[in-house]
Amino acid sequence: MNPVLKIENLTKNFGRLCAVNNMNLQVGAGQVFGMLGPNGSGKTTTLGMLMNVVNPTSGSFKWFGEEATHHTRKKIGAVLEHPIFYPYLTGQKNLELTAMIKGANEAQIADVLRLVELSDRKDDKYRTYSLGMKQRLAIASALLNDPQVLILDEPTNGLDPMGIAEIRELIKKIASDGRTIILASHLLDEVQKVCTHFAVLKKGNMVYSGPVEDVSKGAETVEVKADVDLTDALSSFQGSSSVLRENGYFEVTLTDGVKSKDLNRFLFEKGIIASHLVTKKKSLEKQFLEILAESK
Amino acid sequence: MLHLLKIDLKKMTSYRTFWVVCGLYFFTLGMTTASGMEFLKWLVRMGASFGTEINITRIPFYHFPDVWQNITYVSGFFKAILAFMVVISITNEFTYRTVRQNIIDGLSRKQFIISKVLTNILLSLMSMLMVFVIALVTGLVYSPTIVFTDLVMDLEFFGAYFLEVFAFLSFALLLGMVIQRSGLTIVILVLSQMIEAIIRANVDDYVPWLIPYFPMESISNLIPLPFPRYVFREIQDYVSITSVLVVAGWTFVFNYLAYLKLKKSDI
Repeated sequence: MNPVLKIENLTKNFGRLCAVNNMNLQVGAGQVFGMLGPNGSGKTTTLGMLMNVVNPTSGSFKWFGEEATHHTRKKIGAVLEHPIFYPYLTGQKNLELTAMIKGANEAQIADVLRLVELSDRKDDKYRTYSLGMKQRLAIASALLNDPQVLILDEPTNGLDPMGIAEIRELIKKIASDGRTIILASHLLDEVQKVCTHFAVLKKGNMVYSGPVEDVSKGAETVEVKADVDLTDALSSFQGSSSVLRENGYFEVTLTDGVKSKDLNRFLFEKGIIASHLVTKKKSLEKQFLEILAESK
Repeated sequence: MLHLLKIDLKKMTSYRTFWVVCGLYFFTLGMTTASGMEFLKWLVRMGASFGTEINITRIPFYHFPDVWQNITYVSGFFKAILAFMVVISITNEFTYRTVRQNIIDGLSRKQFIISKVLTNILLSLMSMLMVFVIALVTGLVYSPTIVFTDLVMDLEFFGAYFLEVFAFLSFALLLGMVIQRSGLTIVILVLSQMIEAIIRANVDDYVPWLIPYFPMESISNLIPLPFPRYVFREIQDYVSITSVLVVAGWTFVFNYLAYLKLKKSDI
């Protein structure tokens, strides 16, 4: 099967600054693909090239297995950086304009407005909207014409926690329809919560790409605590690669194949009952920082 | 094509500035061109107080076919106001960055330019139509006798007028596209006539044959100044084909450069 997006050796230089360096990437159908990277790492430039607003210096990309034209863009809903609309037009009129450009049915406007809960403000001018409403209108506009791919660049930027949660739910809802989503963000926990795959960019270079579930694979870490001192008991446990004492807890990193229940059984057999035992998933944040540190 | 025009009109028709500027344009244009007789009467009153007598009925300003060239000539001065509107329309797209979103949403860069050019054509046509109606009405009111052959004579001035306005609006579009800021663009647009005049004055000793090919010069040559004929001087009372070709050439160049600029830039 053709990937939805295939990027080959994509490069963009702004004068002497290399914003994106020789990027190769594939995004498959139905993936929720997270693009991670610190500010200025080339995420928006990459997305700009994919949407033909930034001319690549070299390299190429294909959407749906074919060369990109303005017709392909109509099948992609995208919001880059921040919402862009005509401030003097109402939300409704702005969406009507987008629908005209995309060749979408105007009847969809009411649906997407309902989805982002803006129906009751649709006749107000865009400039009177709050930031959260602007972001939601942008998502509504991206959803017009029933796009196969949705590109969202920092969709929760500047939103309050409730707004962030709303957008996240919205993304999950959209993803559950089987649509491909490309999500650029520097909010790692956001990416971990909604994405299936991710790539890490650093200074224009792609330093990592893979499925999100791989992050939690590998060595497990267990946090234990008991009423008695565990130092001796833990040091005699065969399945640990390291034992750290932190904040009154013991942090035990297990060797491959050893699970937390093995440690629990071991302690129990030794006559020790743990009062606290938590298997810790490796967070994307930790992984991300590791990747960035390694790539130096 | 019509679809692209509709897209651009959709942006403008809910924009209050557009209606205000267009309203002012058509109002001042209409009032000025239609009130030439009042101006002449005022001139008579002024002359009378100085003891000179002018017989305005001897000046066939609004008579067919003179009225066509007279009114199209005077109306030409107002095209700058329409050009300001074009500048605002294009620079807004850059300040709001909506040109970027338009492209992202699926307009090609060529289509974007075409949508703006089509609006320019529409504005020029409307301006031409308005001037035609004014000239026709004033001509019917003030001509002592209406002779059909006089009425249909010299109508090519409207073609020239359309080209004059469209060429200038194309120039405004290019400037706005290159400069991208409305204030600066308007200043340069206003000064461009003067800047070109200075350049012309400095080169006319060396390359006099080049002078008619300058863009602003060729635009103003389309409809020659008609008034010296009332003091018995010879005037050019026709539209020269060379002027038309030169201006048409410039119009194409302006619009094509605007397209190239958009094509090459990261937006």
